[in-house]
Amino acid sequence: MGNIAAAIRCSFAVATFTPHTRTSMTSIPATLLWCLSAGTAAAVVMTFFLVRMRRGSQALRRHLATAEARRSAAERGHSELAAQLRATEDELRHLAEARLPDLATSLAHPHVAVRGLRDPRFTATDVDRSLTSAMDQLAQAVAKERARVDEAAQATMRGATTTIQALLYRLQTLLQEMQHRYDDQAVAQDLLQADFLNEQALRRVQTTGVVCGAWPGLTRDDSHLADLVVGAMSRLRGYERIQVSNLLRDPVGVVARAVEPVAIALTELLANALHHSHHELPVAVTLQQGNRGASVIVDDYGIGMHADEIAYATRLLGGGEQVLLTELGDPPRSGFAAVGQLVRQYGFTVHVESSPYGGVRAVVYIPGDPLLTLMDETAQPMSAMAPLPPQMLHAHSTPLGVPQTMSQGMSHAVSQTASQVDPAPGSAPVAAAEHTPARAPEAEPVRTPEPTPARAPEAETAYTPEAEREAEPWHEAEPAHAPDSASDAGLPRRRRRRPAVEPERPLPRTEPVAERSPQESATRWAALQSGTLSGRAEAEYRIPRPEGNDQG
Amino acid sequence: MTPRQSNRRLVPAYLATGGRARPSRNTLDRLTVLYGATVTAPAGLRPEALRVLALLRPGALTVAETASHLRLPVSVVKVLVADLVDAGHLHARSPIPEAEQIDRQILERVLDGLRTLKS
Repeated sequence: MGNIAAAIRCSFAVATFTPHTRTSMTSIPATLLWCLSAGTAAAVVMTFFLVRMRRGSQALRRHLATAEARRSAAERGHSELAAQLRATEDELRHLAEARLPDLATSLAHPHVAVRGLRDPRFTATDVDRSLTSAMDQLAQAVAKERARVDEAAQATMRGATTTIQALLYRLQTLLQEMQHRYDDQAVAQDLLQADFLNEQALRRVQTTGVVCGAWPGLTRDDSHLADLVVGAMSRLRGYERIQVSNLLRDPVGVVARAVEPVAIALTELLANALHHSHHELPVAVTLQQGNRGASVIVDDYGIGMHADEIAYATRLLGGGEQVLLTELGDPPRSGFAAVGQLVRQYGFTVHVESSPYGGVRAVVYIPGDPLLTLMDETAQPMSAMAPLPPQMLHAHSTPLGVPQTMSQGMSHAVSQTASQVDPAPGSAPVAAAEHTPARAPEAEPVRTPEPTPARAPEAETAYTPEAEREAEPWHEAEPAHAPDSASDAGLPRRRRRRPAVEPERPLPRTEPVAERSPQESATRWAALQSGTLSGRAEAEYRIPRPEGNDQG
Repeated sequence: MTPRQSNRRLVPAYLATGGRARPSRNTLDRLTVLYGATVTAPAGLRPEALRVLALLRPGALTVAETASHLRLPVSVVKVLVADLVDAGHLHARSPIPEAEQIDRQILERVLDGLRTLKS
């Protein structure tokens, strides 16, 4: 615009100048022409400038627009970034305030759920991955440290329990010796109590040790399963509520290495049953023999277990994992954990379920192949407190029944043959009517499952004097001594004497005693007297040469 | 096989009597002779009582012998036996008093006679 104004001003200056150059008329058109051309030139220049200016302003305008767009884009980006930053900060705060505490709690209490991301938009992003990795590392570090601390605690406990256990065993030996030494009632009573207390302490220490990874602390000999159950029961307060029924067909025993572990497991299951049932309710224990193993079934009629308790117990009893001391609670409930350890190490199984009676049923199954053995009842009889199987109980209740299972001196086969043959001579008249039918069917299946071929000949030879003892009372010592000396080669042990008052009465007392006539009595006494006399006479006769028989 | 590891008892003695060591009668002695009063074993008895009766069924034994056979302390067996005597399942006869014992000389002669028989 400035240019245009300058050009106009210039043309006016040319026009005002022209009157002064009027001196020559011919110069007017030239001047006009000059002016015109100058004006044209100015117009051209002005147009050029005009165009150029317009172009510049357009570029400026475009520039302005893009700058505007860029600015708004930048603003948008900025606000987005700020929002994202805020979200990330929130997420981090969530991690610190919620997720990590959750994780810490859940490591101690597995049922606690760990919360996830707060903002679902972060799922599968780098943020998510980083946070998860941080949490994983934390979890690993905590778990590792916990295991380390737990192992240290377990090692300490193990050392302590092993020592205490050994001491308690020594105390047990001492108490047992004292029980045999002192007959005094008061002392004996105290000794029994002390023994029981010691046994309970031993059980606690042993269980704790086993949970901490110690071995059971004792290797026993092969033992009768019934003995084992009774022994387990003796370690618990309230054992009188436990009722054991022995349904084993054979003299089933547990091999040496598994005796104490099974006993510990049974003790803990029985303790659980006793603890969770009313103190007047019985706890029923059944020994059952299966095709491939034996089971001990513990039934209580108590309050039962919840589903989650059963699940927890099943997890522990499965023996699949190492249990931490910190998981056992306070006071520690170490029973199932100990059983789980033993199950894992020794290969029997324990199953716990709700019983149909409302209580809990626990089943210990001992597989026959590696863990069971058949016991020789002669060499190692059952303890007196172990219940006998029903068939043996029944055998005991029959008249004239020779103690078939326990009699230590008497071999099993001897008693078997004796019990089958004995009724014939003496008791036939009365006993046959009511007892032989009962005996006949049960004697066969009971005895035949456990024939030991090696013992058969012994039975044949040993039987003879046993059967003849009715006639010759002095021979009764013979069959008893033969297996006795064979079995435990210790001091000779006197077997038994005939009842001194009623020597010849194998019959049930249904027969009235007074029926003997005076004549008969006289004959008998006369016979006795003459026998005595003749014996004495013979002794007198032989006494002069007693030497030479000292070794006999 | 490994050598015999331990013959530690598995079943303690107190289990036989539920921890009691005071017999219901104090007439029992180590040498008291026991013999069964019934031929059939009565039902409903605890295993150890049945075992005592079964042990005594073929003949009489003293308390000490019974204890030895059952591998139980005498004090515990006394309780068991006293209960059984109370229930009428057993008879107990006191040992022959010192003064009435047979002359030692006669015993020696009997012994000699027996040795002669065996030779």
